[in-house]
Amino acid sequence: MERVIKVARMQLINKWVFIGLPLLILGCAFVFSLVIFWIVRENGGEGTMYGGGAQAPMWYFLALGIQALTLTFPFSQAMSVSRRSFYLGTVLLFGVCALALSVFYYLMGLLEKATGGWGLDARFFALEWVADNNVAVQIGFYFVLMVLLFMVGFLIATIYMRWRTTGLLVFFIALGVLLLGVIALLTFNQLWGNFWTWALTWTAAGVTLWGGVVAVVMAGGSYLTLRKATVA
Amino acid sequence: MSEQTPVVVRNVSKTFKDVKALDDVDLQLDSHKIYGLLGRNGAGKTTLMSILTGQGFPDAGEVKVFGHTPFEHDGTLSRICFIRESQKYPDEYKAFQAFKAAALFFENWDEQLAQELIADFNLPLKRKIKKLSRGQLSAVGVVIGLASRAEVTFFDEPYLGLDAVARQIFYDRLVEDFAEYPRTIVLSSHLIDEVANLLEHVIIIDSGRIVMDEDAESLQGAAVTISGKADVVAEFIANYPVIHRDSLGALASVSIQQRLTPAQQAEARELGLELSPMSLQQLVVRTAMGRNVLATPQEQTKERASWNA
Amino acid sequence: MIDDSKPIFIQIAELIENDIFSGVLAEEGQVPSTNEFAAFYRINPATAAKGINKLVEEGLLYKKRGIGMFVAQGAPERLRQKRRQKFNDQYVQPLATEAGKLGIGVEELMDMIKSAQPIIDVGPGGSRHV
Repeated sequence: MERVIKVARMQLINKWVFIGLPLLILGCAFVFSLVIFWIVRENGGEGTMYGGGAQAPMWYFLALGIQALTLTFPFSQAMSVSRRSFYLGTVLLFGVCALALSVFYYLMGLLEKATGGWGLDARFFALEWVADNNVAVQIGFYFVLMVLLFMVGFLIATIYMRWRTTGLLVFFIALGVLLLGVIALLTFNQLWGNFWTWALTWTAAGVTLWGGVVAVVMAGGSYLTLRKATVA
Repeated sequence: MSEQTPVVVRNVSKTFKDVKALDDVDLQLDSHKIYGLLGRNGAGKTTLMSILTGQGFPDAGEVKVFGHTPFEHDGTLSRICFIRESQKYPDEYKAFQAFKAAALFFENWDEQLAQELIADFNLPLKRKIKKLSRGQLSAVGVVIGLASRAEVTFFDEPYLGLDAVARQIFYDRLVEDFAEYPRTIVLSSHLIDEVANLLEHVIIIDSGRIVMDEDAESLQGAAVTISGKADVVAEFIANYPVIHRDSLGALASVSIQQRLTPAQQAEARELGLELSPMSLQQLVVRTAMGRNVLATPQEQTKERASWNA
Repeated sequence: MIDDSKPIFIQIAELIENDIFSGVLAEEGQVPSTNEFAAFYRINPATAAKGINKLVEEGLLYKKRGIGMFVAQGAPERLRQKRRQKFNDQYVQPLATEAGKLGIGVEELMDMIKSAQPIIDVGPGGSRHV
């Protein structure tokens, strides 16, 4: 456990990567969105305005998942850290960061509602589909989404570490075939209408639950892959 | 037992695709000794060190370090240090951040020694590692390796890109610190002469096989080159094991694996022969690695393939 | 200083012997530590220790517990004896043998030696390639 914590501390030696950059991205997205909302309002725009900028840091987490592995895993090996400790320390640290950021999203959402959408009737944090749920679902939703994206990056990077380019190729071809299969199935059976109806019935709680399951499966997959990964 | 012999390797083999990187390797490393792990590029040095440090794993055989299989064993790993010659560092890391990380993980880390070495090598701490020169990059590895004071420390071609002065600093500091804090040190190298005097034991690996595993002492002065008139040389060396022959017209130069007594030396000089001791490097090249000089094209391809392994 | 002709520990022992013989290291004087030798000659400390131990076994150096290594009383004289013996074996005997082969008598040999130019500046250990 001691070395797991040390791995988290190692990942934080450059605080920019796990903390600074996500906050900067979020901050920029927020400020830009507010400016745009204000311009629209000033020019006679009517009704509630919605911005999707809050997801910006989440996409960064996809890149972070890849980076945390490809760049720090070989270094952690030189620091005589076991793969298990590296994995746990890195995922643990990301979990803590994601949780803190999710709570921050929730609090900003409350503030957004309280200020009447920053005085502009704008929605940046508190999108109704999510924000109309209870606290646990809201925070859980953000958290699961962040972890999910991080894990996608992490899994792709572990596959690369273990099987190199061949592994990635096989993975993406398999994924492509799977998607094609689903699309073919839906198209030949003329099920697209049903599909969209079904997709629209999803709630934030449902997404959180099933996203969480997928994230856990990917976490397990990337751990098992990392167990036998080598740096050279 | 495991404290006197921290590293034991039994029948270890490792294959990359169709290349045998390690072939039935048996080895042990004692505590408080400086080893030379010598061999050509692609001979299997790095693969062996990776397996000993749990960074890699064997296909067959067994490795025990401090009595445990090092792979995924935190307790054992924390007593080992192995910085690769091609070590990767996090992209944004500056040199001082790498040392900060090392200080976290290596329990015997000596910050003062690290600072002294940094000053010796004139390392720019605030520069990003990926902007360092090859020599400075090697120096980062050397600083971590020495200051870690790990009980088993591997140096993988540590002198790459270092100039003569910096290499001398490394050798001096190594001897100094080792004298004060004895531990098991493995110097992996394909340049032998520079490190020869530092080694207590020499292990030579060639095409994944251990071809020599001897005390350095038994190799020093163990071979001599005799040159002079071909017929006189031929007569003199008649009863000695010959390692290598060269000839130029009526002159010959023959290396024999034999320690000559003072009387034998005097006799040779009396015959007008010249004697010159063979360096460890020459001896190694001529004996252990000599087999490869006439390697078949297939074998050469194989070796090239193992470079990438 | 260190070459490939013989094991390094023997060369270290010889270097120290030279210093004792020439007085650089005085009788009852302290000898540098194993680690100092190792650092100075850039050799493995175990090798340096072996060279020093060889001299301890021969009684030329002795150990004071917790203080260090010292040159034994009478060490230079014992080295002189040893070297005189060696001089006889290495030079005089072959000289006599060769002289015998050439039919040079004792008297003649003595004259030759008397009239020989002293070889200039042979440092400790001498140079074999004159």
